[in-house]
Amino acid sequence: MHLLVQSIGFGVAAGAVLSLGAVGFTLQFGISNVLNIAYGALMSIGAFLGLFMLGLGLNIWVAMVLGGLAVGACSVLLNRGLITPLVRKGMQPFGLVIVSVSAGIVLEYVIVAVAGPATQSYGNLSGATLNFLGWTLTTAQVVIFGIAVLLMVGLHLLLTRTQLGRAMRATSSNRTLARSCGIATSRISDIAWFMSGTFCGMAGIALAITIESFDFTLGSIFLIPMIAAAVLGGVGQPYGAMIGGLVVGVVSSVSSAYWDPAYQSVVAFGIIIVMLLVRPRGLFGSSSATRKLLA
Amino acid sequence: MANLAYIVVIAAGAYTYAVLTIGPDTGNGGFQHYILGYQLPFFAAVIAAAAVGAGVGVLIGVTGLKRIRQDYQAMVMLVISIMAATVIGAAPSFLGGEPGISLVPNPFSNLSAVTGAWAYVAMVAFACLIGYLVLRKFTGGPMGRALRAMRDDEHAAAAMGFSVVRMRLLTQAVGGAFGGVSGALLVAFIGGWSPGAWAYVETLALLTAVIVGGMGNDFGVTLGTFVIAVLLLQGVQFLPQIRSHTGLTEALGWMVLGLLTIGFLWFRPQGVFRERRPKYRLRPDPTGDPSSGALAGRRG
Repeated sequence: MHLLVQSIGFGVAAGAVLSLGAVGFTLQFGISNVLNIAYGALMSIGAFLGLFMLGLGLNIWVAMVLGGLAVGACSVLLNRGLITPLVRKGMQPFGLVIVSVSAGIVLEYVIVAVAGPATQSYGNLSGATLNFLGWTLTTAQVVIFGIAVLLMVGLHLLLTRTQLGRAMRATSSNRTLARSCGIATSRISDIAWFMSGTFCGMAGIALAITIESFDFTLGSIFLIPMIAAAVLGGVGQPYGAMIGGLVVGVVSSVSSAYWDPAYQSVVAFGIIIVMLLVRPRGLFGSSSATRKLLA
Repeated sequence: MANLAYIVVIAAGAYTYAVLTIGPDTGNGGFQHYILGYQLPFFAAVIAAAAVGAGVGVLIGVTGLKRIRQDYQAMVMLVISIMAATVIGAAPSFLGGEPGISLVPNPFSNLSAVTGAWAYVAMVAFACLIGYLVLRKFTGGPMGRALRAMRDDEHAAAAMGFSVVRMRLLTQAVGGAFGGVSGALLVAFIGGWSPGAWAYVETLALLTAVIVGGMGNDFGVTLGTFVIAVLLLQGVQFLPQIRSHTGLTEALGWMVLGLLTIGFLWFRPQGVFRERRPKYRLRPDPTGDPSSGALAGRRG
């Protein structure tokens, strides 16, 4: 029983990072309707930026915010420089996936060229261990969980209470109609890519804090549980991705407590395949973004 | 629709060939572990690799039958290829785990190193020739027309009475068999195979070859493969290594590969050689009535 409780605690902590990443992934997809596989590489860039800023002597939480913003800027550049022009040229969704895979690989090897292929580590930043409800967690895990919750609440308020959020939701559900209502959809798209990149970079740094060591493949490995979380909640639905992240985190943590941890990612894989074959629109009903997935 | 999980098929062929020819894993001091461990002759193992490749190809194809958007499907394929490598790597006693399987026997090991290598080149060239002829048979005849119709407009093809599901799975099986053989030939030559050899970036290399050469043009794809595989991925090894930056040249190779893919999709999506479509014209009717002419196919 103690093992179960403890593994759920670890799962929630891991799920917080996962939710951050998955929300960013799904937010951008919901609005711009492009699957961005380069997201993993952007996440690695975030982790390495964090390492660089840590080397400059910055506080890790400051580095997390700055790194997030920097990756957000990279994400907008990726959209403006590559994705949008190709969409305007009439490229099919499948071609865009190939382009984003290629862009991701280029970005990953830019990291290798600059920082080298070696395994890196932030050192021990976990802080004191805290006991809470029978869970033993590190301070860093708790802080990351808090940041994730704050960002989620912030996103919720943004989407529901502000003019920008309403415009974003309108663009997500029907781009053409939104444009004819006078919403500057390409600007909304840019904002979505920026927010997605910011979530991505922060998730990358949070991930690098919680795991012992990482290299340039960090993000592309983490992309699978993130996609699983997004698919579970329904692609394009931020709230679905939040819950999906927690579920995937807890399920894979519990499974690795009772099963060989090497198979942890198999759980994520199973979730993707089962959801895809049984309920492609995700657990939470059908939004227009997920309906678009069904040909 | 390109299959982004194709590398899994190649890997399946390579593993099949390896465990069918290498002998029991108690040999060589038992330092590696894997299943089966037979010592079949070369050709039997290659045929088995083709069969396993076809089977895995069909399995992957089944996930593609669900009617979802193309890019979503592509993502699933990518996930399959990453996951397959992770699972194999995590199971040390199944197919050697992360370190993989080494000391796979070379069919020409009784010849000297240089003669053996050239004999191997000759054999692979022969295999390519056979593969090309089989492919011509497959894509040139009525089957090829049916396939092209399916690719261009699935609904129209279905309306013409073709079973789209059966044809898709058949294509996956044939493609899988090719992949299986190529994996077998590869592993018999390099002598070892591990998850690192088929990371998903390798799929990009295959994809770049196809995109640069020209999708749907057999000659273009063959040429593209030579340029990509020989010049880019092997060629970078001959560049001087920069001492302070290990892995920089390999990184440059992959960066060029990615940029090449993007560049071609941007500026010349049809590739260097565009697809040659068969042209059809009305065969003049001997009775002189143009309306009763029969359609005659001609590759051109």
